[in-house]
Amino acid sequence: MAERESSGDVVLETRGLTKRFGGLVAVNDLSIDVHKGRICALIGPNGSGKTTVLNLITGIYRNDGGSVSFLGQPLHMLPSHSICWLGIARTFQNIRILGSETVFENALLGKGYGHGGASILDTVLDSSRYRRDMATCAAEVNEILDFVGLLDLKEERARNLPYGKQRILEIARALVTNPKLLLLDEPAAGLNSQEINALMELIRRINQRGISILLIEHRMELVGNLADWVFVLNHGSKIAEGAFDVIKENPDVIQAYLGKGRH
Amino acid sequence: MAKLIALLRRHALLIIALLLLMAPHVTSQYEFYVVERGVQNAIHVLGLLILIGYSGMLSLGSAALLATGAYTYGILLVKLGLSPLLGAVLAVAFTTAVGTGLALPAFRLAGPFLVVTTVGFGEIVRILLLNLEPVTGGAYGLAGFANLLPDPNAVYYLMVVVLFLVAVATERIGRSRLGLALKALREDEVAAQVMGVDVRRAKMVAFALSAMLAGLSGVFLANLTGYLSPDSFTSAESATYLLMVVMGGMQSVVGAVISSLVITSLPEVLRFLSSSRLLVYSLVLLVYLRLNWVRTRSLSTWSGARMLGVLTGAGKGKGRS
Repeated sequence: MAERESSGDVVLETRGLTKRFGGLVAVNDLSIDVHKGRICALIGPNGSGKTTVLNLITGIYRNDGGSVSFLGQPLHMLPSHSICWLGIARTFQNIRILGSETVFENALLGKGYGHGGASILDTVLDSSRYRRDMATCAAEVNEILDFVGLLDLKEERARNLPYGKQRILEIARALVTNPKLLLLDEPAAGLNSQEINALMELIRRINQRGISILLIEHRMELVGNLADWVFVLNHGSKIAEGAFDVIKENPDVIQAYLGKGRH
Repeated sequence: MAKLIALLRRHALLIIALLLLMAPHVTSQYEFYVVERGVQNAIHVLGLLILIGYSGMLSLGSAALLATGAYTYGILLVKLGLSPLLGAVLAVAFTTAVGTGLALPAFRLAGPFLVVTTVGFGEIVRILLLNLEPVTGGAYGLAGFANLLPDPNAVYYLMVVVLFLVAVATERIGRSRLGLALKALREDEVAAQVMGVDVRRAKMVAFALSAMLAGLSGVFLANLTGYLSPDSFTSAESATYLLMVVMGGMQSVVGAVISSLVITSLPEVLRFLSSSRLLVYSLVLLVYLRLNWVRTRSLSTWSGARMLGVLTGAGKGKGRS
């Protein structure tokens, strides 16, 4: 733990990040650092701009001001797939898996397209290069499915999985991209307490693989349990950051969540 | 029995190809022409399967790409005196280039908006063919070009072999990482992007492959008819090709091939009904779609079946089902 604190490596850095939707400032002058090997959490009341931050980092939205850099490289104007190839993977608040494809195919999608792999000609000719590529991919996908505990369901259609397993599948797909930073958007939403415990265990194991994590979460027990560092957002601005135990005593944070006292 | 069916399914393409190879010996001259057109259509429809079935990008400009292939072949031979083989290669290459250009609007447009763009493209090509009379022959049409192979039966055999190879290739693409990327485009473009799918590149590949097959089919069409007229390449034709993909199940290569052959021959089979022929033809298609023998849910936002309903006016007043 002490070693983690001392390592100054910043994986993800935002400086003055700003996004407006018309008159609404969804993210306002946000500066955060995600350090290597850490589990960071982004919390805040509904509508405080948490998901917008993830959309800005992954290139789904273009920022109106400020900058994002990943391992020292600015991400400005890079398309989403390039950002993925650099090593940022994410999951979505509302699960976005391919329902009619199998679990295996969903995970395989994490290998992307247009970034290595066999050419169309190799594919069409079923050449040894194509087979080798598919075998390598399959091995990696199987390893990840085994890691998250979905290997025995790999031939199942994704839409037939129970909700909790679909969430795990989305995480598995993100892991197949071989990320250095994993962004999780409310991974515990809709899960029961047993599934949440398994999820926390999984997130820890992912972190132990050397993957830094930035997660958005509403469940405070999960944040308190997992997060080394917490950023608190309200109305698009960062109002506090620090260790969870410190943050939860912060009057601004309490006010943002619970409202102002009447006396 | 189950084993037999599994065996038949696994080798369905091979069986179809072998049956088609026997066609010249067991059909009359007219029936044979219908089969030829069926095979030629199937090559085109496999391209549409990649574009519409796999990638979910609906195109109603496919007849125009077919025309591009056919006319380029004809013009290169008649006006420039190229050899049939060189003409065919250039025609396919040119059609592929044009079709890849069609991917550019698809970068920004989706669903009905993309459909309208492709309809526009189809009309532009048809009007060009009509009015560039010195080059295309205009409404008089274009004739007088040689065939790829001197023996007409040899052209047919070549076509069947090409269809078989294209079908195998299409099936392989469907199972590959490219195929998966295309299916991801169809189901959730944002998720695909974030998972490292280069969406623009994937779209371009889908358009290019589909145009290549349209060009190839167009060259064969020119060979079969020996005469080209803008009337054969209207947007109604494009709708028929779309129908062939939808009836084939939107995902299945074997389905697309069978449905191309069946839909090509259906109007001829029903010819004995004379004036009520088109009515029965439409009824057969509607019943088939209504019975849900085909999985038409694949186009998540803009289903092929609903699109056909719009085109034929059959789906009027029906809500989302």
